[in-house]
Amino acid sequence: MKKLAAPPLGLTLLAVGLVLYPLLFSDAFYRDIGVTFLLAAIAASAWNIVGGYAGQISVGHSMFFGIGAYTPVLFYTLWGWPPLVGIPVGILLSLALAAVIGLPTLRLSGHYFSMATIAVAELIRILVGTWNFVGAAIGLQGPARGRAWWDLTFRSELPYYYIFLVVLGIVLAVTATFESRRFGYYVRAIKAGERAAKSLGVPVHWTKMQALLLSAAFTSIAGSLYVVKTGFVDPGSGFGILVSVQMVIVAALGGAGTLYGPLLGALILIPLQTATNNWLGGGGSGLTFIIYGGIIVLIARFEPGGLSELWHRLLRKRWKRVDATA
Amino acid sequence: MVIMQVIVGGLLLGAIYALFSSGLTLIWGMMNFINFAHGEFVMLGMYVALLVVVGIGGGPAVFGIAAAGALFALGVVIYAFLIRHVLRGPMIAQILSTFGLALLLRYAAFWFFSANFVSLPGNALSGTIDLGGIFLPVAQVVAGSVAIVLTLLLQFLLTRTLIGSMLLAVAEDPDAATLMGIRPDRIQALAWGLSAGAAGIAGALLATAYPWSPSVGETFGLIAFVVVAFGGFGSVLGSLYAGLIIGLIQAASGFWLGVIYKDVVVYALFVALLWLRPQGLMGKA
Amino acid sequence: MPLLDAQNVSKAFGRFRAVADADFAVDQGEIIGLIGPNGAGKSTLFNCLAGDMVPNAGRIIFDGADVTRASAEAHARVGIGRTFQVPTTFEDMSVLDNVMVGAFLRHPHRDDAREQARRIVELTGLKPDQRARSLGTPGRKRLEIARVLATDPRLLLLDESLAGLTPGELQDAIALVRRLHEMGITIVIVEHIMEVIMTLTKRVVVFNQGHVIASGTPEEVVADERVIEAYLGRTGTPERGSKP
Repeated sequence: MKKLAAPPLGLTLLAVGLVLYPLLFSDAFYRDIGVTFLLAAIAASAWNIVGGYAGQISVGHSMFFGIGAYTPVLFYTLWGWPPLVGIPVGILLSLALAAVIGLPTLRLSGHYFSMATIAVAELIRILVGTWNFVGAAIGLQGPARGRAWWDLTFRSELPYYYIFLVVLGIVLAVTATFESRRFGYYVRAIKAGERAAKSLGVPVHWTKMQALLLSAAFTSIAGSLYVVKTGFVDPGSGFGILVSVQMVIVAALGGAGTLYGPLLGALILIPLQTATNNWLGGGGSGLTFIIYGGIIVLIARFEPGGLSELWHRLLRKRWKRVDATA
Repeated sequence: MVIMQVIVGGLLLGAIYALFSSGLTLIWGMMNFINFAHGEFVMLGMYVALLVVVGIGGGPAVFGIAAAGALFALGVVIYAFLIRHVLRGPMIAQILSTFGLALLLRYAAFWFFSANFVSLPGNALSGTIDLGGIFLPVAQVVAGSVAIVLTLLLQFLLTRTLIGSMLLAVAEDPDAATLMGIRPDRIQALAWGLSAGAAGIAGALLATAYPWSPSVGETFGLIAFVVVAFGGFGSVLGSLYAGLIIGLIQAASGFWLGVIYKDVVVYALFVALLWLRPQGLMGKA
Repeated sequence: MPLLDAQNVSKAFGRFRAVADADFAVDQGEIIGLIGPNGAGKSTLFNCLAGDMVPNAGRIIFDGADVTRASAEAHARVGIGRTFQVPTTFEDMSVLDNVMVGAFLRHPHRDDAREQARRIVELTGLKPDQRARSLGTPGRKRLEIARVLATDPRLLLLDESLAGLTPGELQDAIALVRRLHEMGITIVIVEHIMEVIMTLTKRVVVFNQGHVIASGTPEEVVADERVIEAYLGRTGTPERGSKP
């Protein structure tokens, strides 16, 4: 129980910092970076549940993000319903899709799951791009001006920032809670060795499924937050491969399977991304992909545990040196 | 006659699918490893062909061999610097390594060659041929036929030669292979070379007959998954049958449902296949 | 009625019949040895008994219930625990966390599971905070035993859990197995070291080419002609000391 015993000084500082950030940086540009950072952290933390903790690498999580983004605006477009109604429906749809993908593939080696996620995500992206009911290639537009607070359409960045912060807090709290409980032990055991886990009575298939469902639900919420903030979604921004890639890279860079890894990854990548986009203009997205691809290859080759693993290793080395001199 | 044209055209394209998919299935069968960048290898093969034709000229034999050679070398290099290391790592490293590589190669191609569609400038294979009333571009006929021959050649190499039995020995049990005096990492490097080389030459063949842009890598990568899933993971002959079938299905659905749906049908088939027979339609249980 | 009753169990891989019509019963409270030359089918039989593989034919009855086609998880739930020939400890987790994974089967609540795990870690003489990765092979084998003990098994299948130990470690391990037996756990042990079989077991079942070829007290079995032939025909006399 080292984690509970350790003084949560870092956590307190982090929380205070995140709460104060938009008040200290009131410029819209910085607040926008803050909101983008929170969204990336939420989505990557959601991916992390199945990809990091349970070790089932999804490379098509955009399907849940896209469903979460499309459903509220679709309901708004059709019947004028506020997004608060569409969000839970999006979650339900994402859960259903997760079940359909997980049932057959989670019984097999992790490669099948990865292949299935990328194929299904691509399939959905193409279908949505040709389906007029959901706006085809043009996409869907949310409320331009909120009728009331429950349309979640604000002119200032500030309400978005705090809504996103609360959601991030919830995702992290849920993750931290299961980490120290049976489910957390089970997913780690499955990642380490399925056969051994089975022999100890771990319901391997169901546990992986639970991780996928939980992850899909939170990813769907992330998509909903995205559309509430931007008021607009198209096949690329909802279901595009960059959406999946960003979740993977943010979590893997910081440290897949660790609580704060996605936060750390977002903290590094989002400012970097904003900077490169500003330097290179809108056309910089191709370069972003090249850099992302390179970073992913480097992580896989040299430090699959991400920066937090690197950090721990460096710390251990230092401790050893201290021990040796003492 | 139009229907015959669709069928023959689909089979010819399917033959090329079979060729590059056999490269993917080789790696899967040998090391239980999915290469997410395989479609990008095909795409690079196409651009190598273009560069050779534009740069130094030469016929299909020249740029075909150049594409095969360049991609063979790339496959070996990628094995030596990346795959060899991640094979010993956790699952996340195995999947992310080639997934990241795919992004890197795809968008580097966008960067260098732009997103515009290109095609090989007029080559020896231009013009159409009359096959008893079916009119097809010469390039398609030649490319498809060569692809079938090469796929069968690869099958022969893997099942009837010393290299093939060494590959098999390493796939079965690397430690035992070491005792027999085989160096597993060299054999695996060779397998990566062959796999990427097959993708490269398939790319060169595709380039003679079809226009392309850097984004085709993603499509071909997914098609290769479908073919491998259909033909059984690890079977080159299975890939040959499955490639032809997928080519046919794609041509038929493009013809009857509309061009946008020709990929949709293939991906949907893949999802259905994973549901019903995840070990592959023709694979062993 | 025996605790475990395997009736005419067969398991084939393609044409190769690893286990062929094996009949094999274990009574409550027994500790029996399962021996045989390499490739005799012992591990395959173990995999069938533990639910890791489904036999092609035959039935496996545990405590009156048919578990032939039940999953490995279900086997653990009814009380059949097993170790692996090649240890499969969860490398990045601590010893205590490894054991807790097993303990959660009967103790869903974390604090109860931890208490159970602590008790077992102590019983097996391991250090709770050590990482599994940093253990040697003997430590890993011991950790595997601890991990499966935490599931409160009624029947324990030990697959060469005592192989590769130094003489000192071997004595400790034998003492541990004896303790488990005294605690009321029925044990089947696959082992190449005859010394272990001779000291621990009262009954030995000899396996060859997928069949049970002999069964009896260790002394009887060692003198049995069919057994001597099986070993001579393959790897010589039953090995003393560790496996080659």
